[in-house]
Amino acid sequence: MSQAQKTTLTRGWRIEPRQQLSRSVKFLSIVLAFLAAMLFSSLLLLTAGVNLIEAFGALLKGAFGSWRAFMDTLARASPLILTGLAAALAFRGKIWNIGGEGQLIGGAMAGFLAFTLFSGLPRPVFYLLVLLFCFLGGALLGVLSGWLKVRFNVDEIISTVMMNYIILYFLSFMLSAEGPWREPGSFYQQTMMVPAALRFPVLFPRSEVHLGFLVALISAITVKVMLDKTPLGYEIRALGFNPKALKFKGTNISRLIMVTLLLSGGLAGLAGAGELYGVQHRLVMDLSNGLGYAGIIVAMLAGLDPLGVVLAALLFGGLINGAYRLQTVTGVPSAFVDAIQAIVLLCVLASFVLSRFQIRRVVDVESDLSSGDHR
Amino acid sequence: MSNQIFQAAIIASILASTIRLATPLLLAALGELVTERSGIMNLGIEGMMLLGAFTSFMITYVTGSLWLGVLAAIVTGGLMALLMAFMAITLKVEQIVTGMALNLLGAGISLFWLRLMTSTAKVDYLITDIFKPVQIPHLSSLPFVGEIFFSQRWLTYFAFFMVPVIWFFLYRTKYGLQIRSAGENPKAVDTKGVNVARLRYLATIFGGMMAGLAGSFLTLAASPRFVAGISGGRGWLAIVIVIAGNWLPWRITLAALIFAFLDAFQLHVQGVGVQIPYQILLALPYIFAILAMMGSRARSEAPSSLGVPYTRE
Repeated sequence: MSQAQKTTLTRGWRIEPRQQLSRSVKFLSIVLAFLAAMLFSSLLLLTAGVNLIEAFGALLKGAFGSWRAFMDTLARASPLILTGLAAALAFRGKIWNIGGEGQLIGGAMAGFLAFTLFSGLPRPVFYLLVLLFCFLGGALLGVLSGWLKVRFNVDEIISTVMMNYIILYFLSFMLSAEGPWREPGSFYQQTMMVPAALRFPVLFPRSEVHLGFLVALISAITVKVMLDKTPLGYEIRALGFNPKALKFKGTNISRLIMVTLLLSGGLAGLAGAGELYGVQHRLVMDLSNGLGYAGIIVAMLAGLDPLGVVLAALLFGGLINGAYRLQTVTGVPSAFVDAIQAIVLLCVLASFVLSRFQIRRVVDVESDLSSGDHR
Repeated sequence: MSNQIFQAAIIASILASTIRLATPLLLAALGELVTERSGIMNLGIEGMMLLGAFTSFMITYVTGSLWLGVLAAIVTGGLMALLMAFMAITLKVEQIVTGMALNLLGAGISLFWLRLMTSTAKVDYLITDIFKPVQIPHLSSLPFVGEIFFSQRWLTYFAFFMVPVIWFFLYRTKYGLQIRSAGENPKAVDTKGVNVARLRYLATIFGGMMAGLAGSFLTLAASPRFVAGISGGRGWLAIVIVIAGNWLPWRITLAALIFAFLDAFQLHVQGVGVQIPYQILLALPYIFAILAMMGSRARSEAPSSLGVPYTRE
């Protein structure tokens, strides 16, 4: 009796944790997540009452449908690579930097300060100073959150989110009628335009792919090497998976947290450089418009891998680009992309968990033996 | 003499605004308190508040019923919290990232549907009816205090009414004790045969419903329209308020009132015409939030298992 029960219990399908995650399983789970995200996005599109095939066609065509579209996608991916790297780097160390949005703006503001100071210098020197200032602008905000965390035990999630709001009000003041940076005589909250000669050069003719894309790629490789090959990178990763051992080893954790947030903030600040000198050419209130938050999604989608961030950013750049075409063709608001991003993130998060399990057909060895006894 | 009357009127007006502006903060913070007490860190309440504000606005706009709007906000918050609970409790996904995803979801969907509504109606913005203040008989005609406490909207009365209710629930009922235990020592709760996951699901959904309700205050009581990002960080402030209030209902009420006062102060200083850039005044609650976190280093009441998934062995 008990033997029979045992056989029925041990035979059949069983869900169990995977021992190791192979690349193909990871890839498959992302594909599945995308299918799920497409399904949910379709439901959202149906609320707009459009033809789904037409809508997805427009999205795809707008993203990668032509050389021109592809170039635009590269341009839109540039800031996402950098904010994605910012999130990935910090999240590796389980430092929850949610402040990419504010750090991007802080970087851009420092970049504009560089314009007011150094616009007379030779162009290569000027660009280097701009990049340095933008990095420092973002890094300053990042390190401030780090300092608040190690010195006053202020949760970095709270401080980075609050600084997103604070820096936006600061920008609003700088661009207000009483503020020093407001374009004279302008009706809008904006600075003067950066003169054409000082804007970031375009990398490919007749495209909007600017120097910022190159900066983003170099940053991705640098972060990859730093995380994988340097002692600092090892420490940041260890901070994420085993902070106790790190402390035991005698690493200065406080310093490490501050350095991580400094680098993370700096990367987001660099994204501000591209938006200021390559896209908007002036400071405006909606300079970032969610790029910092989108970076979090890009980083998660990439599994926090710096090179994966580049791919994920290209995908999201394409999505943003496609959404504009979607709006022109079908009239669906381009804000669709904001909704779809969050849906993708939720599906990816769920699929990562599910991919850690496998369904396996099990035939228990013991029950095989018992059936052999009968023979 | 007339100057004194003027000053008294301004003070009464600031305090009345404080009580009014505390409403969404208090509602969301009390909900988050119950959620966190059960051991779940829900960082998605900003998104729940935002989408709640939107759906209440949309349903009221379409049906003309304010009450259906409130119901829609509660349902929206509850559903989003159900998703949060599923991800955090059943799938055990990192709660911080899940909460962020829900914030982005709330922002994205509300913006998408708002654009859809305005482009279909071919207008720049839509306006709905809002709740009128409810004058409490006799009390509202008292000088000074009448204006401050007894001429508010029903949601405000409800928010403050919930303070003793939540306190009683958490500290004087069996379920309240179970929820607090689930946040402290889930294993002990499990050993007694109580389902930890179920408790946490319910606490999370309750928190979401309260966040949604808080959102409805923004569009059905504070302003007759919905603008993108109308929650403006209030969900995050609610999370700060829970920490600053050391996870205790009365302290949370006090913290909510302080944040609301900063907001009210900012509103009135602008009106009087004081020469401070108004952007700095607007940033005050967020600056104060960081300062409050620096001050509240003693977090004696923080649930020990906050944010830690529970796995049965």
